[in-house]
Amino acid sequence: MQVRVDSDLCQGHTLCAMAAPDLFALRDEDGHAYAPDENVPAAQEERAQEAARSCPERAVQLS
Amino acid sequence: MDTEESRTEENRAGDAERRKPAISLDRLSSRYRLEFEELSTEFHGKCPVAWNDTHGGYWFTSGHKELFDLARRADVLSNDFDVEGVRRGYQGISIPSPTGERRFRGGFLEMDPPEQRYYRQALNPYLSPAAVQGWKPVIEEITRACLDEKIESGRIDFVDDLANIVPAVLTLALLGMPLKDWDVYCEPIHAMVYTPMDSPLYERVRELQMTMGVHMMETINGIRNNPRPGLIDELVTCEINGYRPDDMEIFGVLLLLIGGGFDTTTALTAHSLEWLSEHPDQRERLSRERETLLDSATEEFLRFYTPAQGDGRTISQDCVINGTEFKEGDRLWLSWAMANRDEKVFEDPHTIHLDRKGNRHNSFGLGIHRCIGSNVARATFKIMLTQVLDRMPDFVCDPAGAVHYDTTGVINGMKHLPATFTPGKRLGAGLDETIAKMQRVCDEQRLAEPVTVRKARAKLDD
Repeated sequence: MQVRVDSDLCQGHTLCAMAAPDLFALRDEDGHAYAPDENVPAAQEERAQEAARSCPERAVQLS
Repeated sequence: MDTEESRTEENRAGDAERRKPAISLDRLSSRYRLEFEELSTEFHGKCPVAWNDTHGGYWFTSGHKELFDLARRADVLSNDFDVEGVRRGYQGISIPSPTGERRFRGGFLEMDPPEQRYYRQALNPYLSPAAVQGWKPVIEEITRACLDEKIESGRIDFVDDLANIVPAVLTLALLGMPLKDWDVYCEPIHAMVYTPMDSPLYERVRELQMTMGVHMMETINGIRNNPRPGLIDELVTCEINGYRPDDMEIFGVLLLLIGGGFDTTTALTAHSLEWLSEHPDQRERLSRERETLLDSATEEFLRFYTPAQGDGRTISQDCVINGTEFKEGDRLWLSWAMANRDEKVFEDPHTIHLDRKGNRHNSFGLGIHRCIGSNVARATFKIMLTQVLDRMPDFVCDPAGAVHYDTTGVINGMKHLPATFTPGKRLGAGLDETIAKMQRVCDEQRLAEPVTVRKARAKLDD
């Protein structure tokens, strides 16, 4: 599984980092999210799915 | 009939045709407050986007998907409040439109890009998660002092003695204002939300607002002449799309930041504590399992109580979205509160589930105007909540003394929430002494610098 945050859609709600703190980082200046490593370890897949499900802007994309 | 008249006739007939389905809901009435759940369910079923014929007529969006598809369309929506009528005459985010002395532009929330974007870029580094992280020891200490003022008595009003104070002191700290002046702002900011202009109490609220306004202007000038870090310093030095904001524009931004910072966090905290008092088993569980539950419980309280119930917009160009034909100039209400109860997205929507998953609520708005203080709100709420759970674990709110806002169509707030609990021991200094100490910490460590300048966490040890 791979994860990425669409930076055009992200508005810095930070829910992805709450659901999966190991998969997402938040930019210091505005809290917008990014995935430092797009590869999701198997043990983190459920959290990645929860991050995608809880993003109000639907900016978290899994593939 | 000349051509212009016949065109107007045609428009009217067209308006009647496209403004369907129609509802009639005065959001400022007690019906909105008392029948909120029934109305939400009814609208989701038959009219997730409807024409509401109250307050001059406006589109009312209650469906989660419909709201999602609309709210992010900055290309066809405007937040502009054109007070002087020099642009397109749009009326900003309040429905009904403000009248009389309340007609001023509410900062960048009543602007469109590019100006709005410049403001966000300038102010975000003071309010981002990383910036808020540095403030946590200060928030904890102010909360501790508020609880210490009441802990030995076994009685507290969670609104007056806690949830009004902590967000107010912190907001002033972020702005770079003297912390001890929090009470100049506290009462008028809350009262202006719940006191209508025709109320007999309005005159007093007006006087408090005048005092507050004078204090704000003096502070703006004071910081311009003697710079000190904080949001105000940023506002008096920043360039917005090539211009320097004048005092009136800065005044509007400050009122937005103060109004947004005070009343909403208070509303969330009071409602959550009231619910936890009514559900002691859930309270015990939340306290015990806070490591895993605190985040999801916070989001669930946000979803369920939606402190800012919705926002208005103006359609800025003709468009068709999900089959509804919108015309330029139409007014639109985005009901964050009702969309948060849409059963197509939230199972069992009218019940609080502290461990709710996939909680894609809209309580901080959607799109480019997402609440700029959301990170401050969450941190302040969590600190107040956990300290109450730790120090007053058996609190019981008094339903006879709890006072909810008469009108919840704008802010779903509370005026008072008295409670009793088993008395405990004080842990430190009282509120005034603590605020004086926090002032020194702010000044010496320059805490209100943006995160791009300063990233360290506040140190409280002497």
